[in-house]
Amino acid sequence: MMQILFNGLVTGMLVALPALAVALTFSVLRFANFAIGAMITAGAYLVYTLNVVLGLPLLVSGIVGAALAGALAAAIDLLVFRPLRDRSAVTLMVASMGVSFILENIVRFIAGNTPVGYDVALSRPWRWAGLRINVEQVQALVVCALALLVVWIIFRRSRLGRAMRAIADNAPLAATRGVSRQRVITATWVMSGVLAALSGTLIGLDATIDPQMGWLYALPAFAAAILGGLTHPLAAIPGALVMGVLSEAATLVLPSHYRIMVAFVLMSLLLILRPAGLFGTRWLTR
Amino acid sequence: MTSYLLSLLTIAVIAGVVGLALNIQWGMTGLVNFGLFGFYMVGAYACALLITQLGWAPWQAVLASIVITTVVCALVSLISLRLEDDYFAIVTLAFAESVKLIVNNEEWLTRGSIGIPGIPRPFPSDIGMLLFAMAGLALVFLAFETVSRSPLGRTARALRDDPLVAETVGKNVLGARLRLFALGGTALGIAGCLHAFYYQYIDPTQFNVAMTASAFMLVILAGRGSHRGVLLSSLTVVVLIEGTRFLDDAIPWFAPHQLAALRLILIGLALILLLIYKPEGFGREYRYLHGRGRATGRAAAPAARCRWD
Repeated sequence: MMQILFNGLVTGMLVALPALAVALTFSVLRFANFAIGAMITAGAYLVYTLNVVLGLPLLVSGIVGAALAGALAAAIDLLVFRPLRDRSAVTLMVASMGVSFILENIVRFIAGNTPVGYDVALSRPWRWAGLRINVEQVQALVVCALALLVVWIIFRRSRLGRAMRAIADNAPLAATRGVSRQRVITATWVMSGVLAALSGTLIGLDATIDPQMGWLYALPAFAAAILGGLTHPLAAIPGALVMGVLSEAATLVLPSHYRIMVAFVLMSLLLILRPAGLFGTRWLTR
Repeated sequence: MTSYLLSLLTIAVIAGVVGLALNIQWGMTGLVNFGLFGFYMVGAYACALLITQLGWAPWQAVLASIVITTVVCALVSLISLRLEDDYFAIVTLAFAESVKLIVNNEEWLTRGSIGIPGIPRPFPSDIGMLLFAMAGLALVFLAFETVSRSPLGRTARALRDDPLVAETVGKNVLGARLRLFALGGTALGIAGCLHAFYYQYIDPTQFNVAMTASAFMLVILAGRGSHRGVLLSSLTVVVLIEGTRFLDDAIPWFAPHQLAALRLILIGLALILLLIYKPEGFGREYRYLHGRGRATGRAAAPAARCRWD
């Protein structure tokens, strides 16, 4: 039982990063970014290139790779989303689908379909108080917690975060008060690129990486973000944790490959019962 | 060569049916169906299973799978009709992935990743298959053109352009959305059956989100809401994309998976470029015009280009 709770926590943390990225871009740009899956994949492969192809240590390649992924996200914004800035959410969504195709298949073109793994030493799981804990799981927990903390500080305590919230609340009003929309949007994309790359790397550490991997995490990420309430970015974190634990718990009664279904069912129930999300009080909290 | 041409045309016709389905759901009504391939998959699997497992006659199976797909569409849309576009897209996509998951794992029913072979065609010859598919396309096209010109079609466009106004003037928003989405589901059911008959073998890998993306590309290229445009765009796009398979022999330095990846990159690129540079597409949506066909002494006013974003 504790084991399930712990595994669920780790899964939830892994999903929390992309969920947070989705919720951040949603609150600032008002559209659901379907390219998040491909961004996870691209980030994981960037780190892979540095780690395995260039032979850098994992920590260094993780940091550099995440930075590159952030730059990549900013470049995507510049090339694709900036020309579409004032279009409807649907247009942006369809465009993000296109981005997702391009990114994922560039990865496939270069790296092929075969799953690969990072260059890390295999290690024996620890046993503690009846729990089986992998080193990778601990790494995932620590990195996720740190990343979430940093995002929380940026969002809640910094000038940038205030500008982000202002734009999320009322973009024209924020603009008249001298908030540079473009700068904030770029920062948002960089953050979501970094978050996606981090989660991609951690997922890859736990198992292997392949071009499909991000896509499998995209839907749980959306479900988590919706569970928290899309308009309230930080609520994606508890949303993801709830979902992680519930979908691990569901493996008690369902075969484990139906985990994504749990996300779907949860999301549907929530959308019927409480469309604003578990923690979202539509536009009020500030 | 003839058989290649026939298969190219058949694929284009099936793509046309899918395009029309998305056109009524998204083009006319504004419902973002990212899970298109899931409904298509339901149609194809229902048809294949009814024929191979239960031994139904093809026409019975076709009718039944159309009904099934329509009902499934209606049910899924019930979850999220009240919600905004983003949620609708996510829910439909999640549904489609779930369908794929079930098909992959419930081996007793669907044979999982092995797929279902030996689906008999109602008309065995290639030309018969093409004519059958074209009959399906013509049926869907005529039905949708009629809907476009009907009060329901006007309501659909009003819902897309401004649901609030439509609701204010007393239109039943949810009812109309449900009906139009289900109507799209009917077309997807037909397309799914045609897919099963054409390939005679189906497995889960044939159905993926690339199908959704290319359908969106078709509809944008066609001009949102223009059924005639979809017919043209599906033919052009399929010929262009399938035509690149000829290049496979000409470009020996890429592996097959690289060429497959390139094709998908092309779809994504086309989608984005269209959205940036030509969002209104090339065709034109049906509009009721005052004075059309009447001798008013001046040419009918050019249809206002619909601004949809």
